[in-house]
Amino acid sequence: MIILFGVIQQKDATNKSRGNLAEDDALDWLKPRTLIKPDDQEEVPEADLEEEVGRILTTINPQWVADEVAYHYGKGKFMVKPKPTYGKAYPLYVHQGTAIRKDSDEAKAQIAAGYGMVSFDDAGPKRVKVKKTKTEEEEEEEPEQEPVTTEEAKGDEDQVQEEEKAAAPDEAPEEKPAEAAAEEPKAEEEAVAAEEGQETEEKEAGQEDQMVQEEYLDIKPRVKKLANQFNFCERAALTYTYPRRSVETQTIPPPRANFGATALQCIIFDYYQEDYARKMKEKEEEKPKRLRKKKTKHVKSEQQIHDERLAQRIREAWAILERLVNQNIYDDIAQDYRYWDDPSDEFREGMGSLLPLWKFQFDPMRSHAVCDVQWNPHYQDLFAVAYGSLDFTLQQKVGCLCLYSIKNPAYPEYAVITESPVICLDVYKEIPYLICVGLYDGNVCVYNAQLSLESSYQYKSNSVRDKHSNIVWEIRWGPRLIDGEPSFFSISGDGRVVQWAVMPGELQATTIITLTSNVPPIPGPDGTMLTVNSCGSCICFHPERTEIFMVGTEDGMIHTCSLKYNRNYVRSIQGHHMPVYRIHYNNYNNSIYASCSGDWRVKIWEDGRDEPLFMFELGSPVGDVKWAPYSSTVFAACTADGKVYVYDLNVDKYRPICVQAVVSKKTKKLSRVDFNSKLPVIVCGDTKGTCHVLKLSPNLRVMCKPPKKAQGIDQRTLQIMKLDKLLSLVRDPPFQTGVVDEKFEDD
Amino acid sequence: MGDEAAVPGTAPEKVIHTYPLIRHSDMSEEMRVEAVELTVTACEKHSQNNELAARMVKEAMDKKFGPSFHVVVGESYGFEVTYECTNMCYMYFGGNQAICIWKCS
Repeated sequence: MIILFGVIQQKDATNKSRGNLAEDDALDWLKPRTLIKPDDQEEVPEADLEEEVGRILTTINPQWVADEVAYHYGKGKFMVKPKPTYGKAYPLYVHQGTAIRKDSDEAKAQIAAGYGMVSFDDAGPKRVKVKKTKTEEEEEEEPEQEPVTTEEAKGDEDQVQEEEKAAAPDEAPEEKPAEAAAEEPKAEEEAVAAEEGQETEEKEAGQEDQMVQEEYLDIKPRVKKLANQFNFCERAALTYTYPRRSVETQTIPPPRANFGATALQCIIFDYYQEDYARKMKEKEEEKPKRLRKKKTKHVKSEQQIHDERLAQRIREAWAILERLVNQNIYDDIAQDYRYWDDPSDEFREGMGSLLPLWKFQFDPMRSHAVCDVQWNPHYQDLFAVAYGSLDFTLQQKVGCLCLYSIKNPAYPEYAVITESPVICLDVYKEIPYLICVGLYDGNVCVYNAQLSLESSYQYKSNSVRDKHSNIVWEIRWGPRLIDGEPSFFSISGDGRVVQWAVMPGELQATTIITLTSNVPPIPGPDGTMLTVNSCGSCICFHPERTEIFMVGTEDGMIHTCSLKYNRNYVRSIQGHHMPVYRIHYNNYNNSIYASCSGDWRVKIWEDGRDEPLFMFELGSPVGDVKWAPYSSTVFAACTADGKVYVYDLNVDKYRPICVQAVVSKKTKKLSRVDFNSKLPVIVCGDTKGTCHVLKLSPNLRVMCKPPKKAQGIDQRTLQIMKLDKLLSLVRDPPFQTGVVDEKFEDD
Repeated sequence: MGDEAAVPGTAPEKVIHTYPLIRHSDMSEEMRVEAVELTVTACEKHSQNNELAARMVKEAMDKKFGPSFHVVVGESYGFEVTYECTNMCYMYFGGNQAICIWKCS
């Protein structure tokens, strides 16, 4: 505790020293504000009144009388008043200690908590006493004898010595009812009570000193302190100090160079002239320069171009030679293909036959199946073959896209190996060298047959988002988009129909429809409900209404969909009981379509009817069905037992007009069939990688003869009429025949 | 007559070129373009005071490409300087002024 002694008159002390004045002032203050001046008031000039009088803080009490004498009645004589140590001094600065009363609530709580219980000797209570007096003194704000003790307790020996001297005279002011002590008794009582009568303030100085010493010594062993808000715990840990090391590096200074020149008017002028001349020259040479550049280019690559041309010519020559050789070898077949018509057809009405012509094989693809085959819409002798695999337990690693020409049965005109088996293909009608293929791994690619084989595909859906996650079962070119990009559609086993836009350099996928199935959602492994999509297996676009398409699924459904609705089907019929392999619209009547399925059946449907018009059972899974391009009533189907069936509904509504086993049913199956759009040949592929080109006998391609009444009608109208007439007989509610001539039937 | 004949004869010689012409530069394309533009602006602005023009170019270059650039603008002087590589441009402007900009800190 630090106490500053000053002589500032303060509080009651002030009052005491200037007693009357202060009281008058106070009374004056209370009275109404009438300024009453004493008569003998000295006239002080304004300036003097306003003069500032400084007060000086000194350590000496100017009002302290050195040897104050008072009459002692007991002794009967005047005695020198004992000097108060600092009776007229007042603390200016009081520093609060950290001690608390032992019997205060806080202290009790802390003792109960285990603090302050170390030594229970005298030191304990004494210490407490000391603290207590300290606290008391703080409360009173009155310097008392106790502060002395407190300070002694602090252990300042020198101070203690001084205070001891002062302590003796202190008794008097303590006892006599001094002004300062007047307010004290209460506090005094407390103090005395707390002391337990052990000690009084009037202790002998020396004794006290001793006591102080004792206290001091006793307190020392105390380990635990009574904690309060001013006690802080300091904890520190010394961490490892890393040794300092200085690392220096010197970088290579940036490279510098020297340059010197002289600037003179003549030099500047000359340089300008030079530059100007150069510019003029460049300007003049600009045109020839460009020409010259081109020339040099030509010159450079002339040799190469020559080589390339030569190579190209040689290649062409070889191709022609190869064809010549092949034509010689297969001369008889070529002759048959062109000119041989089965003469027996004349004698068997309503029956025909297929003449096997060439067989196309590509040696690396002997173990692959022909998964799709399609004649080129532009070149009548060219057809594209997709080599994949239909044996899903023993799936091939690679596939192949081949283009064969019937002029050269020995080797494909174009063959490109793909990374995954090719399941389907479609040749773009507008650009017949663009072929889109669907792969077993769910990718779709666009191949440009004009490009060299090294460049492989032109587009691939590898990096496209939303590509198929299952086998792409059928792929069909669609109409161009608004911006003019070609687009194609693909249907996949993942139950989605996706439209692919062929953008420059990339493919863009848009899901057209997700095929929902009737199967209720199945609880997944983590509790979520999984909706099951039905697997699409084939797709077919309406020949006229480009937004309408039909989708066959693996559960035998045939859904009619529209590009405009991506949720619902326009129509939905249970067409088959097994996967639908092909849906094909009639070339003459847009409402008639045929479908074939693994349930051995080929069905002929009419739009808007739930029941098929015709149904044929072929005794084996039907891989493909196609309407003939030349007749409205002829269609061909191929089955897994290696047979090709040709039907002409106009001739026989119940039986095929031709059944021909093309391959041995033990080892091979027929997978796909396609009519040539101009020539009377069909091509069918088997599961051993062979494509068979067959010629249709005359009975299979009977054309309509116009009735006598209307000779001018063209073949197409006749075909339509033929089909309409046929349909009218088949449809459940008798169809009104009116347009068709009676005699037409005879034809 | 004689005068008239002389005039067309001398006319092509009297063509005064004022465009900025780089005599020597190893600056990057971007920096060089910037420097040339600055120089043109400064020399046109302070056509009578080479000191101000030089100061303007120097300060702008310092601001754009970091210190410390040195710029000399004058009609006839000789110099031999050491510069940090790719920070040197010696050019003519206005047909009679040579401006040398280099960086060396």
